[in-house]
Amino acid sequence: MKRILLVVLCAALVLSLLAGCASPTTTPTPTSGGVIQIGLQAPITGNFAAEGQWAKQCVEVAAALINAKGGVLGKQIEVVVADDASNPKDSALAAQKLISQGLKEVIASYGSSVTAPATDLYDKNQVVSVGYGCTAVSLTMDKLRPYFFRTAGRDDTQSEFFAKLAVEKLGAKKIAIMHDNQDYGKGVAEDAMKYLKPYVDAGKTEVVYYDAITPGENDYSAAITKIKQLNPDLLFFTAYYPEAGLIIKQARQAGITCTFVGNNSVPTPEFVKIAGNDAIKGALMLNEPMPQFLTYAESKEFLDAYKAKYNEIPGSIWAVYAADALNALCAAITKAGGTDPDMVAAAMRTMTDAKGITGSLLFTERGDRKDIPYYTYVYDDKGELSLYK
Amino acid sequence: MSVFFEQLLNGLTIGSFYALVALGYSMVYGVMKLINFAHGDLFTLGSYLGYTVLVVGAGWVTATFGVWGGMAVAMLAAFLGIAVAGILLERIAYRPVYKAGRLPLVVSALGMSIFIQNGIMAIWGPRFQAYPMTAVPKEIITIGDIRITALQLFILLLALALMALIYWLVEKTTFGAAVRAAALDKDTATLMGINFRQVIFFVFALGPALGGIAGVMTGLNYGRIIFNMGWVYGLKAFTATILGGIGNIPGAMIGGLLLGILETLFAGYVSSAWKDVFIFLVLILVLIWRPTGLIGEKTAEKV
Repeated sequence: MKRILLVVLCAALVLSLLAGCASPTTTPTPTSGGVIQIGLQAPITGNFAAEGQWAKQCVEVAAALINAKGGVLGKQIEVVVADDASNPKDSALAAQKLISQGLKEVIASYGSSVTAPATDLYDKNQVVSVGYGCTAVSLTMDKLRPYFFRTAGRDDTQSEFFAKLAVEKLGAKKIAIMHDNQDYGKGVAEDAMKYLKPYVDAGKTEVVYYDAITPGENDYSAAITKIKQLNPDLLFFTAYYPEAGLIIKQARQAGITCTFVGNNSVPTPEFVKIAGNDAIKGALMLNEPMPQFLTYAESKEFLDAYKAKYNEIPGSIWAVYAADALNALCAAITKAGGTDPDMVAAAMRTMTDAKGITGSLLFTERGDRKDIPYYTYVYDDKGELSLYK
Repeated sequence: MSVFFEQLLNGLTIGSFYALVALGYSMVYGVMKLINFAHGDLFTLGSYLGYTVLVVGAGWVTATFGVWGGMAVAMLAAFLGIAVAGILLERIAYRPVYKAGRLPLVVSALGMSIFIQNGIMAIWGPRFQAYPMTAVPKEIITIGDIRITALQLFILLLALALMALIYWLVEKTTFGAAVRAAALDKDTATLMGINFRQVIFFVFALGPALGGIAGVMTGLNYGRIIFNMGWVYGLKAFTATILGGIGNIPGAMIGGLLLGILETLFAGYVSSAWKDVFIFLVLILVLIWRPTGLIGEKTAEKV
């Protein structure tokens, strides 16, 4: 009896561990025969699970579109997925996994703090990696990573945009800024302070609150009560959607009525689900062009294909950037005539006519995407976004 | 001054969640000398059970029993469901390895934690789930400048009532005396005619069940639940248990409430970014001053 129980227990343990890691869809056979394998590192589980799943679906749809047109260099594209569980520790493991499978080009990942350890590994092992949901300035600016690129924009653009919007357009006299002490959120908040400084020096506005919350918790009432007492005109939240949803909900519940501005990782269906339509009505969102507002021919083709398969459009722009990371890599592989990482990286830097779902895919010497515009969006009482005029 | 009271209320609310979860850790540790790492995940499971009760049949429960009645049904379902889960946990994962010593027991607990967490993910999915807004009372009570939601007040009172009940059960009844005796010395207690199996049954039903109720309360109060949320609560509740004195029932309550209040006041008056640093600093200082926790008894414990 005891032995049977032990066996059952061991089996349960093994099963549960297997369930923890999303295994790649195929066995490792790098660039042999008729396929080119491209890795996708995404948060399939954990706090950013929604983003990871959208990214996976987007990349698969994009790969299907490419394959339907004859693939790249006559070979079919195959996507190998590794789950980074939305945290830096598993991110390094996921990267190791893809590297050890001999992949030369990967798409990775969502979340700047999550992406950072992986990019170092990819870079050291000479694997070209393209980030899609990582906008912290430090990723390209703290040191040169010759094999790292990103299809997303950079946060200093966003912070500069915010400072202008808050003071010149909204006329906020008292601003509260809340971040989450991680690479991305803190980066946006620090840059926002930097770009607000000229206005503060000129006496046009002041920052009455600048503090961080701990992501992953449920109760932010202490910080919210403090903000309420300071009575700001505007609350700028710079971190991810799971906390943004709770913050706006708890702030409205506590009777804070000031303008809420969320940064570019906030506007997702998950944010609406967590906060509820009542709480987010009138909330402003900063973002690069949202999927539903993309107007290129390529975007229409992609969104139609995605909608046909999943009956909705991707929940965020970052997932679409993941698809564009694949498009950029495929364009670079075509230009380089093969998957050699050095040649692909060189091709990425010198591409001039690559077109993606989100516009031209052009990269700077350091790997940043060129020409990403910023917009302000506003939520209505049905949880729908529209452009803020 | 009203800000201070509001922060105090916030702290009490967080603290009562910690305390309810901490009770489960403490009860199990007291009797089995085992840190039940799966406890945080049973808390999550409770939250998901409550969620399922409230969303099944497009909110049938809420529609039939009203908002408050629906909440009561969800909590009751989680309480009973997690009590059963706790008993099963002991049967499947702890009893077979109990005699093998502490280390296999702890490994088994860690394994069950991973198993339950992934089980929840497999059933309910890896994304956030939101408790339906229609299942939650919206009334806001205003006393002077202090705003508190009716739900928050209800949660606070229920949590305190549950704690009082457990305190009474363990400290004032004959059965409670048996539990305490078993915690003190299992072998002698058994010789005195105390049914140790029954005591284990009791702590593994009630401890996790309290966590299950706390899980539903969390879902109702904050709306958002996710399969891995037990970790954060488990960690804080475990800290509360150590702070109060592990294995000690009033210690777990006081530790939980104190942790919640200290955390909130520090976040409200100093900085919310540094609150966890502060909390763990307090923990270290308390442990230097009183290694057995705030009201833990000094026993010759060979840990």
